[in-house]
Amino acid sequence: MTGALVWLAGCASSGVENAGGHPVVEMNADEKGFVQGTGIESQDLVSVSDKMARSILSVPQIAQAARPPVIVLDPVQNKTRFPINKDIFLTRLRTRLNTQAAGKVQFLARDRMEALQREREMKAAGQVTAASDPNVVEFKGADYFLTGALESISTRTSQGQSDYVLYSFQLIDARTSVIVWEDAAEIKKQGLEDAAYR
Amino acid sequence: MPEVCTTSPAARVVALRGASSAALVALALVLGGCATEPAVLSYVPTGDPVVDGNARLALAPPQDKPLWECRVALEALRRGNWDEARAKLDAAILAQGGIMGPSADAARARSLFRRENTKLFVGEPYERVLVYFYRAILYWMDSEPDNARACYLTAQLLDGSAEGESYRSDWVLPDFLDALASARLKMDWADALLRAQQNSRGSTLPPLDPTANVLVFLEFGRGPRKYAGGEYGEMLFFQPGSALARTAVLRVGEQTWRLGAQDDVSFQATTRGGRVMDHILANKAVFKETTDFVGDAALIGAGISAYQPRRHRDDGLTAGLAAVGLLSKIASAATTPDADTRYWDNVPQALGFAALKLPPGEHQGTIEFRAADGHPVAVRPLTITVKPAPADTVVVLSELSP
Repeated sequence: MTGALVWLAGCASSGVENAGGHPVVEMNADEKGFVQGTGIESQDLVSVSDKMARSILSVPQIAQAARPPVIVLDPVQNKTRFPINKDIFLTRLRTRLNTQAAGKVQFLARDRMEALQREREMKAAGQVTAASDPNVVEFKGADYFLTGALESISTRTSQGQSDYVLYSFQLIDARTSVIVWEDAAEIKKQGLEDAAYR
Repeated sequence: MPEVCTTSPAARVVALRGASSAALVALALVLGGCATEPAVLSYVPTGDPVVDGNARLALAPPQDKPLWECRVALEALRRGNWDEARAKLDAAILAQGGIMGPSADAARARSLFRRENTKLFVGEPYERVLVYFYRAILYWMDSEPDNARACYLTAQLLDGSAEGESYRSDWVLPDFLDALASARLKMDWADALLRAQQNSRGSTLPPLDPTANVLVFLEFGRGPRKYAGGEYGEMLFFQPGSALARTAVLRVGEQTWRLGAQDDVSFQATTRGGRVMDHILANKAVFKETTDFVGDAALIGAGISAYQPRRHRDDGLTAGLAAVGLLSKIASAATTPDADTRYWDNVPQALGFAALKLPPGEHQGTIEFRAADGHPVAVRPLTITVKPAPADTVVVLSELSP
């Protein structure tokens, strides 16, 4: 009888983990969530871009510049095994620098050049008003290029999967091609899939 | 006065087994009532595999959704519905990324009384590789060769756990296309090309031309199927796929290219070796067999005990044996060692690639799929609209296309 009760009790769904699912939880972007992989995740983006923003501001060419240096973002090269939105690192880096060190550096919106050029042409044609002479080129040139690369080493064995990612960023003098600043961050993650998937 | 038996002992055993079977059925009905029956849902087929696939996806249980996403993605890709294919492949990749560490559905799949197919479908390694292979095509289309290369690196890593060393990371096109993307990105490409050449197994690789602007991906035939074997369906087997066409001839304007396949999907499916899950299923099968045997033995013992003369009969022992037998039979019946035979059923048997150079603009041509003896099995007109440099133009030509 007891045995039968034990068997019947096995039907109850109380033994199922997360039977009711997980409610939506708002988290900080730098927190590790309960959903994790060995790839590039939001906490990596936050920690790496924060570190790089602090590092850039300590460079003499930036910290002691007579006027705010003008920087253009050049897309990061993804050499890892993870397909990612490459722009997101530089976007966060730019927003950190613009919000934390307002005025110390200036960024050029080169990714908006098509719209800006069209606006300038409309001003030159008198189709819209202009606060200055639209025939004079006022688009700024860059003092520096900010770029980077993401590289990885990955291993997969029966013991698990390991991914090491090196995030390196450079500030390059647009006139001389000298690398005036470079810094890197590295993150290694390991995990193993459930036996049901192996 | 001695007790008189009116039936033979053998008949009484049979009768007891009949009674226990009836009890078993009754208990099974009670237990069956505990199971959550999926609601009967239906859809109206339209004949369009993308529309119908999306309808099936909407109705599919959560664990099967990645499978339907893969199926829909491939149909969408063959019909030039790039956004649909992109969204579905990204969803399937997300599902693959979420299987690290403990998960409740994987634990259920390992348990004795749940089927393997209750786990989230991420596919066997060859299916996981193909998700990345097809996603890379769309990255090429979006002028993101570095993300395409990332897909190829992951694809080869996913194939890195085959049992036989010579079958690890042995897909040809992921390495070849890694080399092509690396050459485009001015990175070292020699190692990847060498690996592709070493694994080519007699197939002909196209020349590595980083200046080519038209990337042609070819699909031949229908891919492998999974089926279950063994006494309890606990063993996973593959039925190799087949392809009527073995080569293709592409004609654009005055130019003609003879194209072949470089990767054999059935070869990849069948050279993976054993899975850890196979051992778990084998253990489930042993448990099922053993509990069945113990159940039979205990019930027979209970029958014999029940019909002993009263002075020799131990009612406690009889009841105990009957209970053990019944529970053992229930345990055996409830054990589900069945292998997971869900499979991505619209993958091709073989994959090919060619890189061409064509001037920007619209080009008319034909693609002719040919059998092994050279006779055409399908001829289709095609229009290739070549994008201006530096963008790549991607063409997917499939024997399976409508």
